Amino acid sequence: MAGLASLDHKATAAKVAIAATFFFLLSGLLALTMRAELAQPGLQLVSTHTYDELFTMHGSGMIYLFLTPAALGLGLYLVPLQIGASQIAGPRLALYGFWVYLCGGLAMYSGFLTNNGAGDAAWTGTIPLSNSSGTPGVGMDLWVIGVALATLGSLLIAITILLTILRLRAPGMTMLRMPVFSWTMLATTFMVVASFPVLIVAMGLLLAERHLGGVFTGATGSIAYQHLFWFYGHPVVYVMFFPFVGAVGESIATFSRKRFFGYRALVLSLLLFTSLSMAVWGHHMFITGAVKNQYYSLTSTLLALPAGIEYLDLIGTMVGGSLVFRAPMLFALGFVLQFLIGGLTGIVVASPPLDYHVNGSYFIVAHFHYTLFAGSLFGLMAGLHFWFPKMTGAMLRERLAKASFWVLVAGANLTFFPMFFLGYDGMPRRVADYEPRLGDLNLLSSIGAGVIAIGVVMVLVNIVVSLRRREPAGNDPWGEGQTLEWWTTSPPPATNFTSLPEITSYAPLLDLRQAAAAESASDLSRHIWRQRSEARGVER
Amino acid sequence: MAAKVGSTGGGAVTGGPKGGGGPLLAWACLQLALGTMLALWGEQVPALLFLCGAIPLLLLSAWNRVRPPTGNPRLLARVSVPVVVLALATATAALGATAGLWLFLIGAELGVFALVWLIREIVAERRTVGG
Repeated sequence: MAGLASLDHKATAAKVAIAATFFFLLSGLLALTMRAELAQPGLQLVSTHTYDELFTMHGSGMIYLFLTPAALGLGLYLVPLQIGASQIAGPRLALYGFWVYLCGGLAMYSGFLTNNGAGDAAWTGTIPLSNSSGTPGVGMDLWVIGVALATLGSLLIAITILLTILRLRAPGMTMLRMPVFSWTMLATTFMVVASFPVLIVAMGLLLAERHLGGVFTGATGSIAYQHLFWFYGHPVVYVMFFPFVGAVGESIATFSRKRFFGYRALVLSLLLFTSLSMAVWGHHMFITGAVKNQYYSLTSTLLALPAGIEYLDLIGTMVGGSLVFRAPMLFALGFVLQFLIGGLTGIVVASPPLDYHVNGSYFIVAHFHYTLFAGSLFGLMAGLHFWFPKMTGAMLRERLAKASFWVLVAGANLTFFPMFFLGYDGMPRRVADYEPRLGDLNLLSSIGAGVIAIGVVMVLVNIVVSLRRREPAGNDPWGEGQTLEWWTTSPPPATNFTSLPEITSYAPLLDLRQAAAAESASDLSRHIWRQRSEARGVER
Repeated sequence: MAAKVGSTGGGAVTGGPKGGGGPLLAWACLQLALGTMLALWGEQVPALLFLCGAIPLLLLSAWNRVRPPTGNPRLLARVSVPVVVLALATATAALGATAGLWLFLIGAELGVFALVWLIREIVAERRTVGG
């Protein structure tokens, strides 16, 4: 019970990580079943109703129960360590958040045990599909309650991270001395606090609509629901992305043996990014004809600006550095390259005429899987491989980690790249069957899904093997750690730190190393000068 | 070179928790600009939704300014069982919305019980800190 009710932020984060991994594997199994169904036209391994449940629960599980909590859990563990805090603000709130999120996830999945099955109105729960006549039964109710609870849990965890950053920074840790990852977490919490309550309200109203009716009626009701949902639904994409940009940034700086390039520009771009990301929700509604296309198209296209700054910073950090291609660096580079495909195709769907053509097709499926799987998941893997030694005190097996990287790269691109062509050729999303001419590309995609599964198993095996036969990691296993978490022991003690170095920038440990190097260089030159003087004295 | 945790670290050390509201304010200003733009474009109701998003953050920023952290480390219980019970009670009560009033009431009763337990725990903790 002590572990389940522990108030230590590291223990709470570990619980979030375990639960998120559980839901990831569960939702991944649903995806594999879907890809088996879609491997060839006319297979019908599952009924169309079951297929609806599969894609609904896959999307819901990955977004509400895996990527969002995993991103926040990473922050819950690392932010106090990075800003020199001995604990988090509101540890009870974080613990409460975890349990509410877990109950929400279990409620959502328990829909499979009910008569009519689990929720099957897509991860968006769009009206009128999700009302009592569109999807009758307890399973959909459980989905609505589960989404509300899981979102409440994530919101509370985000609030504790935000308060920790605002109130518990170590002496000397000004806002502009916070590490890159902590800044991305701060930006993430802004979006969570501003947008997640809206989804909780929307789910409350949806439940009322299902039981009482009259809440979202007619076309205006449907549009009103979409406004509420997408006000949450777009920022959440960045909630599932920003923390991993931070993880990638820290990995790239460490393995480039260099200070992060353009730190202040990154901070500015993060603020701009978070603001714009809150102002683009209408682009999901272009086809409704009920939004001002010009405004949402403009704000959506403007997102390319902060994204460009972030890419410039990441590339600039590598330029001139002495790059070391350890596993976290490989995953970070995988993120940078693959997310680019997702980002660039995002510009396509920011344009209303192009969006009209590809909306509701596999092009959209490919686009968001490139951002969320080939992008965010690779960023998460970079973070996992980078901080695993700090969290557990054990090193991951490097060769297995690199092998799993290449398998995941192959799997991700084999699965999702053909979907662009499928979508452009007119294959609609959320269907259990399709025209025979699209069979080859679908088969490729299904083979890719199997390859991804092998890659995921390799990562899990690596974790288990590394924890069982431990190769101890020191305080700074990479030898080039820049931020405060590498100052303390691996794993950190209950109070995180027994001492702190002087904080003069966002990379205090790099400052210490550079000061020590400058000192030893000046000692060396003094020594050489003394020797020369002595030699001259002998000559005289 | 290293300072003890909780110490001020000497005169050279600047910053710390007091200056945390700046980014919140900057972000809220950007929100205001984008929301106003949306309202001018003719979408008043969505603009209102948009502008409301910044309110919790502005309140948080103001609270942080009015009540800056004391900087003293707080003693905390290592585990808190009532928090777990409260979370389970919340979930049970929420499930009552579909299962029926009986489950909602069980959740509510459990919640009250957990809340009292939690308050007693916090009071005892504060007494320990004080004494």
